[in-house]
This record gives sequence, structure tokens and C-alpha cells, in this order.
Amino acid sequence: MGQTMAEKIVSRQAGREVYANDKLERLPITKLFFNDVIGPPAIKGFQEDFTDVFEKCGKPPQVFDPKRIFFTPDHSVPTFAIPIAEGIDSMSEFSAKHGIRMYKEGDGIEHVVLIEDGHIVPWDIVLGTDSHTDTNGALGTLAFGVGTTDALYAMATGHLYDFVVPESIKFELTGTLPKGVYSKDIILHIIGRMGAGGCSKRVAEFAGPGLGSLTMDARTTICNMAVEMSARTGIMAYDDVLADFLKGRAQWPVDPIDSDPDADYADVLQIDLSALEPTVAFPHKPANTTPISRVQDMIERSQREPTPDFCTVQDDTITNAFLGSCTNARYEDLVAGAAIMRGHKVHPDVNLIVIPSSRKVYERAMDEGILQVFVKAGANIESSNCGPCFGSHMGVMSGKGKMISSSNRNYQGRMGSPDARIFLASPATVIASAIEGRLADPRKYLD
Amino acid sequence: MITGTVTSVYGKDINTDDIIPAPYLQLSTERAFFAENAFIKYDPEFKERCKQSTINIVVAKENFGCGSSREQAVYAIKENGVACVIAESYPDIFYRNSLSNGLVLITVEDASGFEMGDEIQVDLDSSTIQNVTKGESTYFEMKTEDRNTFQQGGMIGRVRSHLEEILQQAEK
Repeated sequence: MGQTMAEKIVSRQAGREVYANDKLERLPITKLFFNDVIGPPAIKGFQEDFTDVFEKCGKPPQVFDPKRIFFTPDHSVPTFAIPIAEGIDSMSEFSAKHGIRMYKEGDGIEHVVLIEDGHIVPWDIVLGTDSHTDTNGALGTLAFGVGTTDALYAMATGHLYDFVVPESIKFELTGTLPKGVYSKDIILHIIGRMGAGGCSKRVAEFAGPGLGSLTMDARTTICNMAVEMSARTGIMAYDDVLADFLKGRAQWPVDPIDSDPDADYADVLQIDLSALEPTVAFPHKPANTTPISRVQDMIERSQREPTPDFCTVQDDTITNAFLGSCTNARYEDLVAGAAIMRGHKVHPDVNLIVIPSSRKVYERAMDEGILQVFVKAGANIESSNCGPCFGSHMGVMSGKGKMISSSNRNYQGRMGSPDARIFLASPATVIASAIEGRLADPRKYLD
Repeated sequence: MITGTVTSVYGKDINTDDIIPAPYLQLSTERAFFAENAFIKYDPEFKERCKQSTINIVVAKENFGCGSSREQAVYAIKENGVACVIAESYPDIFYRNSLSNGLVLITVEDASGFEMGDEIQVDLDSSTIQNVTKGESTYFEMKTEDRNTFQQGGMIGRVRSHLEEILQQAEK
């Protein structure tokens, strides 16, 4: 019987053929990374839970394989509170002691830098202490966001425990995107169609001829947001685009992967890319999506029938705009934003924050004059980190804030006050809106 | 057997930002700190309600605990004396994090029958919820291995044995 990619990857690591719903008491993993939110408590847990086991066996404490573990301080850097700085100190000390690669503050966001540096390759089973670890699935990996405990257990033994092989839902992309429509619009459209819990317990496999026209920057945006429809993770096959991306970059052997044609799926959905429009998610849920042409209808609906997670929106004006995050701040995202921004100014009522997702993206955007476009237009550029998406610094909003963001979550209170409103959109839509001070269609800037 | 009182009833898609907002995550590694700040924006009375009862039960609709992988959300709930959550579904990361910490998650088809103040008995062995207040009984499904893990308060015992096994094998 044919296998999905998820089934194949688990089979290879487990050393036996498995299918959806098979159970494994122990699943070996191949890559593991910690950010500054979970790294410090995980280190503490590792020491509390296992020190006596190492002593009993007469061994110094050791991680399962330091070459496969990465520390990426990215959420609250530069640090703004002493406990955060102390947490990062503990990561520095632990990584030095165990030979783990630790990135510097400002090197970039976990789901960007490890891919950029060739540490993620097809067939990997990746665990990361962040729900957007699913981003890594764009490289043909099975990538799971995990909590502190699963991660610290994996750090000790290299395994994930009590794993059930997930079923997959296939999203077949056909056609090509119209001008001004981006991969962010694809995934927002899909999440809107599926709902916040629509892909629960399943892997979202993105496939079909439409994928061939999408670059790796575009693909990672799609996998990044699979978790916003509660997918276990997102995944995409190996093809020429990925092969080119990995050439000269991969630090590990590269082996192609794809699902079998006769693999079994829980569901198969068709997505016609040519029919898509710029798409906006309304507060307070990524699944509250509308094509940009229907924004006024959506506003009226929010006034007519608001719910706790679809709140009343008074009008289409905005006060804040954010081009950043692990979803949409790679090189091409900045290029797309700059193409709209060029020759315009940020609206006087809008605070636009631009945060390149990694130091490498930052440097390239600087060298190519892209950052200058934003700076001259009146944007604030910050060093690489998660920024206002994490809601703890660099753009926390008051209750009057109305934000359009290229990030992945618009939960109530996510970026500050529970009364603030957050809209999600592509980098192009974010910049068009920052220019106009209201939710705006980027297509008219591209004629 | 878990015997407790329903002290919180929520709708669908309660996310982990609702349970513990990001600005609190890195200010401490003590579990009590997260309990102190549980639902601080979304439901500031949560903590006080939990103090009214020794053992608390949280009820919710679908997709309880969606969003971020922050395990601090589980500490925030559990350390307020919540022994069990009864909801219509849970996303995987939150489910795993709860398993790891022995916060019992019960999945029922329809959670609308449970109301604030209901006295509840949950029997994991027979997979039944007894609503003592309403005199109703509900059967729920749970995988055997999950039941064992919840009852053991997590999988730490097994992981420690596995680590020992690995270290001893490396010796040979």
C-alpha cells in the first residue's frame, strides 16, 4: 500500500513500515531546537529530571547528539528584562558545555536561520519548542512544535514518546497566482475554508502543479501557518525548487522524498491559485478571512453578528503595520513590500515596523537598497527577532491599536491590549495599507 | 477517581495566549508564577474562582488550548488546582503537553451539559463522568496508553529508564 510522506519519514526512522494511526512507543528524531522562551526551563528540567540517572550510570550529563541540537534566542531579543537575560545566559552556558550550536541575538528567527544555514534537510524529524516549527515541513521534513517536556526528553534520549502516526489531508494547488497575490493569500484562504480546528490531528500536505511556481520563501509561509488550522504540521515534497535551494547549502545528506500516488488521505482538496485575491484575516482569529474586495461586507458582518473571536470592527482604518515574523519576513517578502512602498510614504497615522527575519536577510536587504526604501518612507527597522508578533516588546499596542500584520496570529491581546484589533495579510497588503492608513488592495500599486 | 467542581466554562478555540500571555512566559521558570497569571487578560477572575474549590474542573467547547506550544499554559491551569479539563476537542500540542504533566484531558462529544458549579466525578478506569448535580452520566473514550500516562502523572518514569538503557548500551 502506498504511503504519505509523513508515513514514509516515520517508517524510515522507526525502522519498520508504518501507516496512519499506528502507534510507536519511541520515535527517534533527527533535529531539535530551542528558543529563549522554552530553552531555559528545558535546561532546568533536563538537570532536575536526569542528573541522578547520569550519576547512576557513571557518566557526565550529556545530550543525545550536540550536532543535531540548536539554540536560537529570537523571541525577546534584544532582551528587555533581567530574567530573560538570565535565561539566555543559561542557554549560553549549557550550549558551551555540551557543544551545542547557539545563535547570537539578532541572527534571526529559529524557523528561518536553520533552514537558511542548511541544517534542515528532507526526511528529518524536526522538533522545535515553538508551534511554528511546522515551517520546516516545506523542506520535506516532518516537523513538530513541542512543549518543554517533550523537548527536554528528546534532548536527553533523542526520542519522542507515545507517537501516533498522523493521517494527512492533501491540498492540491493548481494554476498560478495572479499579480499582487502571494503565498500568504493561499494559506489564509485555506485556513478560512478549513476553520481554526479544521485540520486537527492531521498533517497538511501541500502538493500539486501549482506548488512548482512557488519559491522556498513562498512555501515556508504556507507551511508556517498550517498550525493555524490546528494541523499537526505542514509538509511539501522534494522537487527542483527545493533541490536548487539545498545545493551548496545543505549540511547533511539530501535524499528526495514524495508521497506515493496511491497513498491514503483523510481528505483531498483542490485550490485554484488563479482564482485567489489578496486575503485579510479579521480579528481575533486567523480563520476569519475575506478577499480584500469584500472587506466592507466583512466589517458590516462584524457589526451585525460579532462573537468573542470575531469582534466588531468599526471601519477599515489602521494605526499600526508590521512586516516581519517567521511567516513573512524573508528576502522575497521584503522585496514584495518594497515594490509597493517605493515612491510612497507611510501614512501619518500609521506606525510601520519592519523586521527582517534573519541577519542574512537584513544584510542582503541593506546591500540591495531595500531597507532604504522603507527607512525613507518613514518605517522603523529593528534587528532580527520575533518582534510584535510575540506581543511582549517592539510594538506592543494600546487598546486603540489597529494593526495589519504579516505574521500568523491575530488572537485577542496577542500584540498588547485585549481591545486592540489585529488583521493578517501578505507583506504587499501590509505595505499598501501602511501607505493608505486603511486596509488596502496592493494590486493597484503594481500596474 | 477525580471529584471536583466546574468553576470555569469556556467556548471554542481558547488559545494558549488566552491562558498565559507571552509577556509572562520568560519572567520565571517557577510553575506557581504561571498559575498566578493564568487567564490574566482573558478571564481575570479564573484564579479567584479556582480558590473557591479544592479540586477544579474546566469545561470548554472545541479546540481548547490551540495556538502556541507554550507548556506554561498547562502549568497555569494545573497549578490552580485544576485536575481535569472536559472539552469537545484539543489540538495535538496542548494534548501532549497536558499528558506530560498529568493534567487530565477528557474529550466529550457535547460539553454543553456541564455548567458552573456542577459537582463532577471522573472515573478514568470506567471512562465515565458522573455529573452529581444533574444526576447524569457520560461515557468518554480515551486511549489506554493515554489513560496510563495521565494516571502516572506523565511519562518521566519511562523516559528515565530509556535514558539508563541508552547509557548502558553505550558502555558496551
